[in-house]
Amino acid sequence: MIANRGEIALRVINACRELGIRTVAVYSEADRNSLHVRFADEAICIGPPRAADSYLNVPAVISAAEIANVDAIHPGYGLLSENANFAEVCRASNIKFIGPPPEVTRLMGEKEKARQTMKDAKVPILPGSDGVLGDESEALTVAKTIGYPVILKAKAGGGGRGMRIVRSGEELPNLFQAASTEAANAFGNGELYMEKFIEQPRHIEFQVLADEHGNVATLFERECSIQRRHQKLIEEAPSLQVTPQMREEVGKTLVRCLTHIGYQNAGTVEFLMDEDGKLYFIEMNTRIQVEHPVTEAITGVDLVKAQLRIASGEKLSDILPPKLEIRGHAIECRINAEHPRKFTPSAGKITAFNVPGGNGVRVDTAQYSEGVVPPYYDSLIAKLICYGVDREEAMVRTERALSQFIVQGIDTSIPLHQAIFRDEDFRAGKFDTKFMERFLARQTE
Amino acid sequence: MKPEDIQDLKELIEFLKQHGVAEFDVDRGDLKLRLKFNQPAPQLSELARAWATAPAGPVPQTQPVAPTSQVPAPTVPGSAPTPAEDLHLVKSPIVGTYYGSPSPGAPSFVSSGDHVEKGQVICIVEAMKLMNEIEADAAGEIVKCLVTNGQPIEFGQPLFSIRVN
Repeated sequence: MIANRGEIALRVINACRELGIRTVAVYSEADRNSLHVRFADEAICIGPPRAADSYLNVPAVISAAEIANVDAIHPGYGLLSENANFAEVCRASNIKFIGPPPEVTRLMGEKEKARQTMKDAKVPILPGSDGVLGDESEALTVAKTIGYPVILKAKAGGGGRGMRIVRSGEELPNLFQAASTEAANAFGNGELYMEKFIEQPRHIEFQVLADEHGNVATLFERECSIQRRHQKLIEEAPSLQVTPQMREEVGKTLVRCLTHIGYQNAGTVEFLMDEDGKLYFIEMNTRIQVEHPVTEAITGVDLVKAQLRIASGEKLSDILPPKLEIRGHAIECRINAEHPRKFTPSAGKITAFNVPGGNGVRVDTAQYSEGVVPPYYDSLIAKLICYGVDREEAMVRTERALSQFIVQGIDTSIPLHQAIFRDEDFRAGKFDTKFMERFLARQTE
Repeated sequence: MKPEDIQDLKELIEFLKQHGVAEFDVDRGDLKLRLKFNQPAPQLSELARAWATAPAGPVPQTQPVAPTSQVPAPTVPGSAPTPAEDLHLVKSPIVGTYYGSPSPGAPSFVSSGDHVEKGQVICIVEAMKLMNEIEADAAGEIVKCLVTNGQPIEFGQPLFSIRVN
């Protein structure tokens, strides 16, 4: 069963089909005509449109899994994928959860526990608070030790919410309150911790795979610095900033650390790179990620199939090639159903949908002509992944493909992506996580 | 399976196909069988047209692309045919397994023709080993039970039709 929707549900269904595994889709009433419902072997309606009542409704998902008699559940990304309680319920119901064991998810899911685990394994981490901050005065003390600027982050969440950058002691108390309230509203938990804030960092993440026999491998890195409000827009592999030596060192350290904690299945370890090229661990995502296709493009490894094969007990030595190598360069554009300049979400009916193709072009989407983008879920409608022998070719291909990607009836970020690909700094690889801010400021000038 | 069982099964499958059965379950203790037949899948544009004619929230309504006199409803495996009268349908609020009586062998909660009050328990949908009592959300006469004992139930699936007072 795929406990998800949209393009990732279809992605998992595809991998299952190719491996001869029967698929069961679940859907909310708003997704009745979705492609993932259409292409699964069986589909079960589990609730009304709101995610909380359907895709996030654990009893409904498990009940559907039971009546369909499934062996395993793939949670995709987002939704229940990093919910340790859900993984436990699966285990108790004798359903294989495709991901790490709940204990590991819990460990890596709590930001300060994860930091401590990495610190113990000699993975470089960002200087920060020793766990959750009790109150503002503790925050002030810790900030003084770390040195401004610092960032307050929500213990229970991500995606940019419950976060505040603090540049001085005067601002701290108010920002502390604001972050705490926002976190309580978004995740039900207002607890905060603190980290050193790097002004112009790059976001570099490493893909890992681990089997259930204690073997761990890293599949190199991805560069994900093109973000708006902490939501990634463009990702690439490999990163031009990561040297072969860095890659090998980080790879070895991660393998050691993750073997030690008993990691299983797919995961991504996220780092910030400072202006001097040093990497600092920030968090680990214990699931498959949206941007996994760029890693697939440069390694030739099907990561979702690997997840399924790992969950059925196969060893990494049978799943991965004998020598993992980087070939070429891949870039992914996240095509969102939103206005390219105003970023207002654009739900509605798609009246024309022409997907580009050709050599080195891959599109992962669950949308189609006359399909509907419902207003209840995130705005990602397609991923455009272009591969080339080098970054130049990947960029040229992306531009060609974007120009042929026609979506009418709703707004999309395609014009925004096209503008980014014309930008000098982006083309030269000169960017950090502040790039979008500067870029958008230039657009309005 | 024994050769004669296989022959029986083949005949059963032919019979079911001839009569256009979508799904067939049998749980006989010594044998548990579940058959599901491929339904002719509606074209995507038909699905989209059906979506356009069934309003759901802020989705803008549009005209179907090609004018047709009759848009066939998409086949949903296991769903009951829409009743001809304007009857009230009691729909399942959860996913699970339908049971018409409180325990095996006990008399059913309700039968066709029975009068029910709003809030009266009319069946059970079992989910994750919990027996959830389903209440009538309207008062009236039970016209028809639209599902069978032990049938897997989706969210929103019609269970009973009621002629409201």
